Amino acid sequence: MDLKLDADDLNTCVQCGLCLPHCPTFRVTGDETMSPRGRIQLMREVQDNDAPVTSEVVDAFATCVQCRGCEPACPSNVPFGHLMEQTRETLVDNGHMTPKWQQLALKPLAHPKLLKAGTAALAVANKSGLLPKRLGLPDELPVRQKPLVASGDDVWLFTGCVMDAWQREVHAATKRVLEAAGFGVQPTNDLAPCCGALQSHAGMGNDARNLAAKAISALADAPVLVNSAGCGAAMKDYGHMLGTDSAAAFSKRVFDISEFLAEHVDSLPAVEPLDLRVAVQDPCHLRHVQRVHTATRTVLEPFVRELVELDDDGLCCGAGGAYSVLQPELAGQIRDRKVGAIERATPDVVASANPGCSMHLAQAGVETVHPMTLVDRALNG
Amino acid sequence: MAGFLSSVRRRLNLNQPTAGDGDPVVEALRAALDPSRVRYDGAERTLLSHDASIFDGGVAGPVCYPLTTAEVQSVMRIAEKHTRNIVPRGAGTGLAGGAIPLGAPIVVAVTRMNNIIEVDVDNRIAWVEPGVVNLDLTRHLMPLGFHFAPDPSSQQVCTIGGNVANNSGGPHCLAYGVTNAHVLAIEVVLPSGEVAMLGGLDAEPAGLDLRGVFIGSEGTLGIATKVAVRITPNAPAVKTMLLSFDTVRNAAHTVSAIIAAGIVPAALEVMDQRITQAVETYVGAGYPTDAGAVLLAEVDGLAESIEIDANRIAEIGREQGAIEVRFAADETERALLWKGRKTAFGAVAQIAPDYYLHDTVVPRSRLADVLDEVSAIAERHDLIVMNVFHAGDGNLHPLLVFDKREPGVIERVHAAGDEILTASLNAGGVLSGEHGVGVEKQKFMDLFFTDDDLAHQNRLRQAFDPGCRTNPGKVIPSGHSCADIAALKRVPREVWA
Repeated sequence: MDLKLDADDLNTCVQCGLCLPHCPTFRVTGDETMSPRGRIQLMREVQDNDAPVTSEVVDAFATCVQCRGCEPACPSNVPFGHLMEQTRETLVDNGHMTPKWQQLALKPLAHPKLLKAGTAALAVANKSGLLPKRLGLPDELPVRQKPLVASGDDVWLFTGCVMDAWQREVHAATKRVLEAAGFGVQPTNDLAPCCGALQSHAGMGNDARNLAAKAISALADAPVLVNSAGCGAAMKDYGHMLGTDSAAAFSKRVFDISEFLAEHVDSLPAVEPLDLRVAVQDPCHLRHVQRVHTATRTVLEPFVRELVELDDDGLCCGAGGAYSVLQPELAGQIRDRKVGAIERATPDVVASANPGCSMHLAQAGVETVHPMTLVDRALNG
Repeated sequence: MAGFLSSVRRRLNLNQPTAGDGDPVVEALRAALDPSRVRYDGAERTLLSHDASIFDGGVAGPVCYPLTTAEVQSVMRIAEKHTRNIVPRGAGTGLAGGAIPLGAPIVVAVTRMNNIIEVDVDNRIAWVEPGVVNLDLTRHLMPLGFHFAPDPSSQQVCTIGGNVANNSGGPHCLAYGVTNAHVLAIEVVLPSGEVAMLGGLDAEPAGLDLRGVFIGSEGTLGIATKVAVRITPNAPAVKTMLLSFDTVRNAAHTVSAIIAAGIVPAALEVMDQRITQAVETYVGAGYPTDAGAVLLAEVDGLAESIEIDANRIAEIGREQGAIEVRFAADETERALLWKGRKTAFGAVAQIAPDYYLHDTVVPRSRLADVLDEVSAIAERHDLIVMNVFHAGDGNLHPLLVFDKREPGVIERVHAAGDEILTASLNAGGVLSGEHGVGVEKQKFMDLFFTDDDLAHQNRLRQAFDPGCRTNPGKVIPSGHSCADIAALKRVPREVWA
């Protein structure tokens, strides 16, 4: 089957294997089919040698977390993320993966009203204990909440879909921090309902591209600040995804919130730091894709007593957007490794700039907060 | 609907592997191990037909992931009962084809046997399982003030079991010695399924050194299931320096002169311009991309003594025409320089998508001449050659880079490879520095060893493996090797069932 992969991209891999230890699924299974090198070889087998797309081949692709930890480890700069997204898109188009009901489950993300209604229903169901624990929903889902109100137009604050529905208090904290640094903030709310990352990861390329186009046309001029690492990575990739100049120009205006604030940290008031030992857990799409994770430390450092690093080389936590729901067993094993690294670091609290990671870790009993929540707490008590 | 059902099945954990149902070997293996740890599907078997080398190995038979010595024993007994071959496998980073499956063998992947069992700091010993990753062990030991000295370029991936099988080296083996010097005892499951302990923790274990026989045997004698390694105290101080030269020849002469001056640096690594340019694009460590060659030198020990050695190395470099001598300012810069060196092989895809990495050793005094010859050979075959090597011990790693989609190029690559090897042997060198013989250098064993030598090696191997069923078709050329040929009669099977 033609997976529609670029032959040169596919050929950049020399099969050296240096990616293997940086792949969370290889780390927990030791199985070549669950490694970047193996997955690339399977792409070649399918595309070049016409190997059949068996359930095992689909599984090899479906079990990839798409953390892209293999990319910085690759001395030949294989664009693994793009290869995997294209592979999944072709397999979805041919009916090999992401069944219709899963595609349907992602549809509400693009429709704020539907998502809010769904969230309220989930909140009620969750409170009454109707939902299984392993879905990883936060204990306190909001039933009803007010949208954030603009305080100016210096910067956009991208609010997104699930995060706005489930963790709006993080957006509120981020907004207060930006305001303390002197910026007027315009929340994107329903203007750009969703970044399209989850759709893109699931191989639903058209949905993702439609959302990207919507965001680009709705959010003019000002820097677009994103406090969810997965969304930020996706939006920085719009240029590649749509292949247009306007998309590329938009992507250049997208910044992770810490990446932006690291340049303005002097504008924030000096306050008494929180008396906390904080472990920084880098979301993969901040560290491996955007590669701006050092900014998190620059921004947090003045506001907490102590920062501590994990000793796992930035290996994924297993959240991976919808991954923890679709592949609960692997996601749990991967998380066990992360929890081990966190325990060795003995922090009071873990800071992670991605809603997926924080919910996934919270499910294992690890107290995880957004870095902006900590800065806000230090500034505003 | 089918998709929905398969997801439900997966959620309910009904998705145990089914490929191979009805095959008596697969069923016996699934009964002995957890069924989820025995795979027989086309995807798995095709992937495990490769390692990091350019050699194709036919197709793997059943693939097992044992967790314990007892499980490895069961696999061995099943293989014996059904007269099937066995190929042990670690991370699959070998470059001589040592882990490729010949004759549809049962592949025993030890990647899940990855526990560090015990660290005994007082006696400087660590017991580890064979699937422990080399760098993971060192990272585990670092806070205790120790490390595992052999540090192959693939150390972030490769396993201790693989290091033992290949007697692996690495940049720092110049001063510290290769794997053989760092392994005290090995628990081995023999092809019969029996367990033997080779070597021991005493300073001078009695009897023949069977531990030494096993190290470097490339999986032909059995499977290591536990390894007692020596742990090395971290040096109190380290100094890393980068010397740039106009030519590889000057860099090579500098290496000989440093050793001749009585200095034994921790590492002496040379990279030519093409390599330097490729790695610099990846790491951005500040490698001078306009220099014809660079020499990465490292000294470690007491602060006072390394100061003297480092200055002396700089002086020798300048005498040999170094155009720049730079000291790594801090640990970050040092780490970046090493990252560049250790990812050099992988970085070549920036130039061409395939590479054939050679591994020969020549006397240090002949380094420059052999390098000239290597570039002449590459030129004759119209190939690009890149050089990165453990200069201190004369271990050459010429890389021929190519695009296998180009018609006829593979033949040219192999012809050039053969000539490079012959040139090294003619210069008084040996077949392999650290990558092993595997299938790559089998046909050259005749050039290096006499018939008597090979017959003795074969008898030794048969003492461990009378049926020649573990990793058959490797190392010893088939003309000298017992039942390998019979064992390799391929079992034709449909892979993509």
